[in-house]
Amino acid sequence: MPTVSSRGDAMRGLAVFISDIRNCKSKEAESKRINKELANIRSKFKGDKTLDGYSKKKYVCKLLFIFLLGHDIDFGHMEAVNLLSSNKYTEKQIGYLFISVLVSSNSDLMKLIIQNIKNDISSPKPVHVNLALHCIANIGSVEMSEAFGQEVPKLLVSAHASASVKQSAALCLLRLIRTLPEAMTYAEWASRVIHLLNDQHMWLTAATSLIHTLSQLSPGDYKGCVSLAVSRLSRIVTSTYTDLQDYTYYFVPAPWLSVKLLRLLQCYPVPEEPAVRGRLVECLETILNKCQEPPKSKKVQHSNSKNAVLFEAINLIIHIDSEPNLLVRACNQLGQFLQHRETNLRYLALESMCLLAGSEFSADAVKKHRETVINALKTERDVSVRQRAVDLLYAMCDKTNSEEIVAEMLAYLKKADYAIREEMVLKVAILSEKYASDYTWYVDTILKLIRVAGDYVSEEVWHRVIQIVINRDDAQGYAAKTVFENLQAPACHENMVKVGGYILGEFGNLIAGDERSSPLVQFNLLHSKFHLCTPSTRALLLSTYIKFINLFPEIKPTIQNVLQNNNQLRNADVELQQRALEYSQLSSITSQDVLATVLEEMPPFPERESSILAKLKKKKPASVQVSLVGSPSLLLVSLTVQMSLIRAYFSLFYQPTSIGYHLALFSPTYPLMHKTPVLLMDAFDDVLTLPADLGESPSTESTEHANRPFMFKNSGVLFENALIQVGVKCEFKEQYGRVGLFFGNKTGNQLQNFAAAVSLGPEHQGKINVATQKEPPSQIDGGAQVQHFINLECISMFSGSPNLQLRYQHSSAPQQVTLKLPVIINKFMEGVDMNSGDFFSRWKQLGQPTQETQKIFQARHPIDTEAARTKLTGFGMCALTNVDPNPENLVGSGIIKTKTSQIGCLLRLEPNKQAKMYRLTVRSSVGEAAALICSMLEEHF
Amino acid sequence: MIGGLFLYNHKGEVLISRIYRDDIGRNACDAFRVNVIHARQHVRSPVTNIARTSFFHTKRGNIWLCAVTKQNVNAVMVFEFLMKMIDVMQSYFGKINEENIKNNFVLIYELLDEVLDFGYPQKTDTGILKTFITQQGIKTQTKEETTQITSQVTGQIGWRREGIKYRRNELFLDVLESVNLLMSPQGQVLSAHVAGRVVMKSFLSGMPECKFGMNDKLVLDKGNKTNDELSKNSGGKPSIAIDDCTFHQCVKLSKFESERSISFIPADGEFELMRYRTTKDISLPFRVIPLVRDIARSKMEVKVVLKSNFKPTLLAQKIEIRIPTPLNTSGVQVLCMKGKAKYKASENAIVWKMKRMAGMKESQISAEIELLPTAEKKKWSRPPISMNFEVPFAPSGLKVRYLKVFEPKLNYNDHDVIKWVRYIGKSGLYETRC
Repeated sequence: MPTVSSRGDAMRGLAVFISDIRNCKSKEAESKRINKELANIRSKFKGDKTLDGYSKKKYVCKLLFIFLLGHDIDFGHMEAVNLLSSNKYTEKQIGYLFISVLVSSNSDLMKLIIQNIKNDISSPKPVHVNLALHCIANIGSVEMSEAFGQEVPKLLVSAHASASVKQSAALCLLRLIRTLPEAMTYAEWASRVIHLLNDQHMWLTAATSLIHTLSQLSPGDYKGCVSLAVSRLSRIVTSTYTDLQDYTYYFVPAPWLSVKLLRLLQCYPVPEEPAVRGRLVECLETILNKCQEPPKSKKVQHSNSKNAVLFEAINLIIHIDSEPNLLVRACNQLGQFLQHRETNLRYLALESMCLLAGSEFSADAVKKHRETVINALKTERDVSVRQRAVDLLYAMCDKTNSEEIVAEMLAYLKKADYAIREEMVLKVAILSEKYASDYTWYVDTILKLIRVAGDYVSEEVWHRVIQIVINRDDAQGYAAKTVFENLQAPACHENMVKVGGYILGEFGNLIAGDERSSPLVQFNLLHSKFHLCTPSTRALLLSTYIKFINLFPEIKPTIQNVLQNNNQLRNADVELQQRALEYSQLSSITSQDVLATVLEEMPPFPERESSILAKLKKKKPASVQVSLVGSPSLLLVSLTVQMSLIRAYFSLFYQPTSIGYHLALFSPTYPLMHKTPVLLMDAFDDVLTLPADLGESPSTESTEHANRPFMFKNSGVLFENALIQVGVKCEFKEQYGRVGLFFGNKTGNQLQNFAAAVSLGPEHQGKINVATQKEPPSQIDGGAQVQHFINLECISMFSGSPNLQLRYQHSSAPQQVTLKLPVIINKFMEGVDMNSGDFFSRWKQLGQPTQETQKIFQARHPIDTEAARTKLTGFGMCALTNVDPNPENLVGSGIIKTKTSQIGCLLRLEPNKQAKMYRLTVRSSVGEAAALICSMLEEHF
Repeated sequence: MIGGLFLYNHKGEVLISRIYRDDIGRNACDAFRVNVIHARQHVRSPVTNIARTSFFHTKRGNIWLCAVTKQNVNAVMVFEFLMKMIDVMQSYFGKINEENIKNNFVLIYELLDEVLDFGYPQKTDTGILKTFITQQGIKTQTKEETTQITSQVTGQIGWRREGIKYRRNELFLDVLESVNLLMSPQGQVLSAHVAGRVVMKSFLSGMPECKFGMNDKLVLDKGNKTNDELSKNSGGKPSIAIDDCTFHQCVKLSKFESERSISFIPADGEFELMRYRTTKDISLPFRVIPLVRDIARSKMEVKVVLKSNFKPTLLAQKIEIRIPTPLNTSGVQVLCMKGKAKYKASENAIVWKMKRMAGMKESQISAEIELLPTAEKKKWSRPPISMNFEVPFAPSGLKVRYLKVFEPKLNYNDHDVIKWVRYIGKSGLYETRC
């Protein structure tokens, strides 16, 4: 590049200006000086006489300097563009500099600039071409890519362009490709670009970068570069440092090019042709050999560049992954680096070894360095290196060395850096599970883990322990014992209390035989931790207590005392209050058998992929290669189901006090994914309101009218007299339904010859299928309750509802009750959400007189849109908003799903507030359905 | 309780560092330098909170003054103290700049020891301080002098020592006001207020008791109530409404509360008797009428008419009008009938100066500004035209009615005292939008 120091180019004015600014005492003085200079430049640019190139350059230069000091420059762009058309190199240079720094890509001047660049690119002077190329690359906008996407490659492959132009062209093209990959067509000049690798000049470092990017974009077109790259690489590697004199850096021949070539080779699989492959292996061997040679210089640059090539070679070896010899050698080489005093080298060695550990050929070689790695973990000063050591230990762990490695990691965990603790905990948990041959060891490890780093033990980890303990019969007793021992520590982590609570609740009986861990001792131990825990843990402990009542009936009074304590019953936390209240009722009302059923041991969990692993993957996507089974989220579901069973059972006896009923979760922090409990929950709300008006029904009367409330709800008390109470709970999904009936004996004596059967009248024959899932027993003891489940399938549309015949003998007097089951056609209806346009187009489609039923009737209840909306939703339709232009009007839509057909229904309810009248219009694809729905709904508004 | 006090030069180097309380560490001065002086964005708030430490700063020229505290102190008190400290230093060594501070290094530490005690402000009155902190070498004080200093500093009238004697009993009273104004282009007053000070310089013998009277509306109205006859006579005399005022510590506030009369035993030498602020019935000395026209894309014309609005016999001085120019100005032609006008590129403004101007006169300037087309079309924000001046009257309308001096012990009375009164009105922020 020509120097700027010749006399005409010195720009004294600029030098003076800069020294003035540097001499300014304060910021104010500086900005005054700059304002003055700007005004001067403005007046110069404004002046009528045209400026010569030199002064233009000088002023543009000053502007540039002012801009770099942090001031806004909003003029002078035109002058800079003018400079581009100058013939002098320095003027052109300053012009291009200004443009690449200051002109925004959406400027009006861009067209002019592009024209100038085009002129320069085709100029015969290479320096001008270079300037233009640099400017294109510096701006690097989409516009530039579009304008020059075709031009630059031509330069790159042109016969007469000089090496420096080609170098600039290669880098420029690289930039343009990164900006706008689609603007280029690669295939046509692919082969010629590849052959750049054969070029004599060593500017190919730039070309290699380009080819690397290109081959990532379209690997197929650039496949040919592999053999060329290999031969180029071998030429470099085998040369002595004197051969490539110009490109040797501290005795290493062309280190940058070597690294780039090695990277390029990593884009492609191992070459097929044996000759090329042999040559490549030879190269890699040579590189490894060279590292054994004594260093030619003590300078750090020498070793750095040598090692850079080496590490890239090792990366390539790992990428090839089929040369055991090379892999082992690489591993040995890295092993040497593990003890190197350069921290960076140690880091890199550990990182590469992690990858090597994954390969089957070198895994064993890696394991030889276990001691060194463990040592590194203990003594390394840099936390990032320790992190790598942990990764490597995790990667090299297998059945044979797992115990030692886990023990080392646990020991290290105590003093580990906070940043890596959580990850370490996850890794320990995974390793101990994966390689556990003996589950006592596993339990010990995890409990120790919780003890050492309780805060970092995520919920996935302790869920997993519980899962495994529940699924392994052989580990349960030991787990209970160990947990109990661990809980005896004066201060133990909350996670430990959780695990302890759960395991003792399930398997406390296994260790109850021992005097030292008698039921009362267990309970007292857990309860001593109760007050120190967060609400979620307390909730878990309450569940443990109710399980204790089942396991150890002898401490029932103690536990009931705790449950009925005001601390629990009036706790501010709704969940705790609810649990305490329900559990204490459950324990006092039910018989031992019921308790045992409800609180039976948790069933084993289905095996699934471990969510610990998923969590680790989320933290570090790359480094996980292990797969495990089982999921704690499932644990929660099953718990939830059990909990809801308890509640379902329970709601028949007792009306919960809290209206804001929460989902019955084992831990309130878990969002629930199962549908069943949600449905069940709906039931409880209804229980609150329902039974009062259904009080006394005569013993042999049919309960036609009692069905009405069930049109909108799925559960409640169906029938009750002095002898018996019948509760019902239904679930419907599409055409299927399931009705649970609960028969409670209210007397003290046994009801005999009990039988309940669904009878289908002629109008229902063939329209509903009924199957009894579980027959009720023939006797009901005094005060007891039995269940009866019926499965239903709706075949086609029906009206009314099927009957339930109930027969029993009370004190040898036969009784008979006929009940209407709450199975009505609207139960099989599902709401459909649609927008206004959809609604009215369908409404018009169903315009035939047979498809419409309209009724005008007196309002039975005060007209309230919200209440009506709620009713409509309860009915099964989707109450649509923003459909009818009149907001008072209610619009709904739904589909009745039967096995044979699906019947769409649309509804409009228009209130007349003055007259207290409603007009109800129902249209349906089946006329009968419209009439039926209309008559059903008529009496409810 | 001020924890410490730092003085920095413009580079942020610490010139003076005095720490009064243990809760302020040595690194506090670095925290202020890093977060305020060298902050990337200009810190505009005078109070900065860094790591639960409050920094109160003010800048004089190139010098930063900063008070530090960890407690929840009254910020106004701290600033009042800082201002007093500046006054004290100015009266000791003149202008506050880096060189003066370096030269008076020992003196400043001595002063700092005296004005703050464990972070609580003590005597900040220059006159008193000068009695025991002198710039001359330490002279051994006689026992009499020491006892006198002690009794004075600890006594009831800490601001005046006994036994002062003058051959000529003389006093000077300056009413100094600064007018602040923001006016719309159409001549509508958007905001205006006057901040005034009454500065007294007394050379009186003994322990005289003075009584100061001015045309305060409240006082006059009160007088009128008692005497209906007078109210008719004084109805012609204009009285002013003072929004708020503060007094020198020598004024007996109890008397002011009960009788609205300002009576005091003055400090010897110069002191500020009172400070006040008015917002009503301000007589604005000047009216600026701007006229800005865009002639073409690259040219605009500015015409400013200046009208003086006070008695023709009075003369305003040091008039300077600053007309901001757009940032892309490339050339300016100015034409004015009176005074000198010049385009100052370094300040991006046309500055028009006049030595003096009589009342009820009018003058005019017109300028043609050439503009350079810019790459980005940024609208010029048109900052207001500002002006500076000095007039020999009080724009608030304040008048000194009397200043009586009683000295019962010595044989001179009110008539023997020579009294001088002077009014100076200056511009504060006197701006007109254009």
